[in-house]
Amino acid sequence: MSEPVSRHRVPRLRRTVRSWVDGWNRIGTQTQFYRKTLTSVGDALVNYRVEIWRLIAQMSLGTGALVLIGGTVAIVGFLTLSVGALVAVQGYNSLAGIGVEALTGFTSAYLNVRFIAPLIAGVGLAATIGAGATAQLGAMRINDEIDALEVMAIRAIAYLASTRILAGVIVVIPLYCVAVLMSFLAARVGTTAIYGQSTGVYDHYFGTFLQPVDLIWSFFQVIVMAIAVMLVHTYYGYTATGGPAGVGEAVGRAVRTSLIVVVFVTLFTSLAIYGQSGNFHLSG
Amino acid sequence: MISSGALEKPVRAIGGFYAMALDTLVLLPQRPFAWREFLHQSWFVARVSVFPTLMLAIPLDMLTVFTINVLLVEFGAADFSGSAAAQATVVEIGPVVTVLVVAGAGATAMCADLGARTIREELDAMRVMGINPIQALVVPRVLAATFVALLLNGLVTLIGLAGGFFFTVFIQHVPAGAFAAGLTLLVGLPELITGVVKAGLFGLAASLIACYQGISVKGGPQGVGNAVNETVVYAFIALFVINTIATAVGVKATM
Repeated sequence: MSEPVSRHRVPRLRRTVRSWVDGWNRIGTQTQFYRKTLTSVGDALVNYRVEIWRLIAQMSLGTGALVLIGGTVAIVGFLTLSVGALVAVQGYNSLAGIGVEALTGFTSAYLNVRFIAPLIAGVGLAATIGAGATAQLGAMRINDEIDALEVMAIRAIAYLASTRILAGVIVVIPLYCVAVLMSFLAARVGTTAIYGQSTGVYDHYFGTFLQPVDLIWSFFQVIVMAIAVMLVHTYYGYTATGGPAGVGEAVGRAVRTSLIVVVFVTLFTSLAIYGQSGNFHLSG
Repeated sequence: MISSGALEKPVRAIGGFYAMALDTLVLLPQRPFAWREFLHQSWFVARVSVFPTLMLAIPLDMLTVFTINVLLVEFGAADFSGSAAAQATVVEIGPVVTVLVVAGAGATAMCADLGARTIREELDAMRVMGINPIQALVVPRVLAATFVALLLNGLVTLIGLAGGFFFTVFIQHVPAGAFAAGLTLLVGLPELITGVVKAGLFGLAASLIACYQGISVKGGPQGVGNAVNETVVYAFIALFVINTIATAVGVKATM
């Protein structure tokens, strides 16, 4: 088969420029979608309240096969549980190397609250609720259901995307409570029951360095993360193209993007909140 | 009878997964090995994973090194920031970032690709032509993902150490010599080997899950989306479990 002769004088340059322009335009449409979604939140709250309730029930328990292993709450709890155990294993042994294993409680109170628990909760959120939303919206787009909604004069972005953002933010609060408790529990059980540190020592250092204000800030971090993750996932689902295979690809792309978003949100919010000094009271 | 149906499905899925994993292991040494597919898949997984790796490893390492350095400065032990950075990067952040990338980027792309082929009935067509899809598609994918996971671990470690060096020396003004001297204080060959073994296990487990979900896709667009969703969830769970167990074993072995 012979190559067709290009109609343009500089085809390769043209293609490069075209791909740059397309990328630039994609950023524009994405921003437009995010603005539309966020400004429609009030609309969704007033007009589509039933849909929000339905989504909250669905998100907290999960859909399809995920229900069988306990839903979103169990999955996020399990992820933070295993990372909390990692803090115990790694923290205890590293600190024992320099003879201060008593401070394992400090690492749990300090690292879990500041970035491990928010980060893992964000990742769990992206993998369960977020990817589920992309799969649902993508399937609706491929089956032309979103066009049908618009024909019926239902504001599709408010009805599909804004309701999901609201439901995601509401679901993430109890979800994060479970996540933080699990990470504390796993670190404590790992250190005291498995490595045999006395519970009094652990609780003393844990209680001394745990700052309630940090916990409130980490809730704030997780809420920002939930908004960002739901925005990314609803965008990729809403704009899925290319048949059944396209939905799978959209889910994959959405997960990749939202993982990056989660990490950057963690970095920037924790630098903004805790700042240069670290803000912990080691010497009273 | 409803309850028995609800119970049967997950048990069947677990059985199917084990059967496919065993098939893959049995077919692994058999000729002909699909070299072309292996190279294609390695390139495919590497291509989708490299950008997320960079974007995850740089901020996470910066955050960790920053937090630990603040702590060390408070103790008056800023000279040990090198050993802290090495410990954090090689032993802790490296495997976690590799988990996130292999499960979140590699496995999802692989499952979406295989799921699309299943939906288009390409796998049935292969069976009709007498080609075993496990041998032609799954074996090279599993090997490619394991291979790329090993390479990614190296990349993450390298980025972490370079980022830690830059951050500590140029922003927090620790002497470069002190940083370099501290690198090998806590982390040696055994820790590095633990990290490499962990990365290999992650690649193996995540790609087996992705391939199983991909070849057992059912039911149109929603089915492919759900399969990819389930791949991410199961892969994260499996990889976090493997990480915790392998870390405990590694710590015990290197003590």
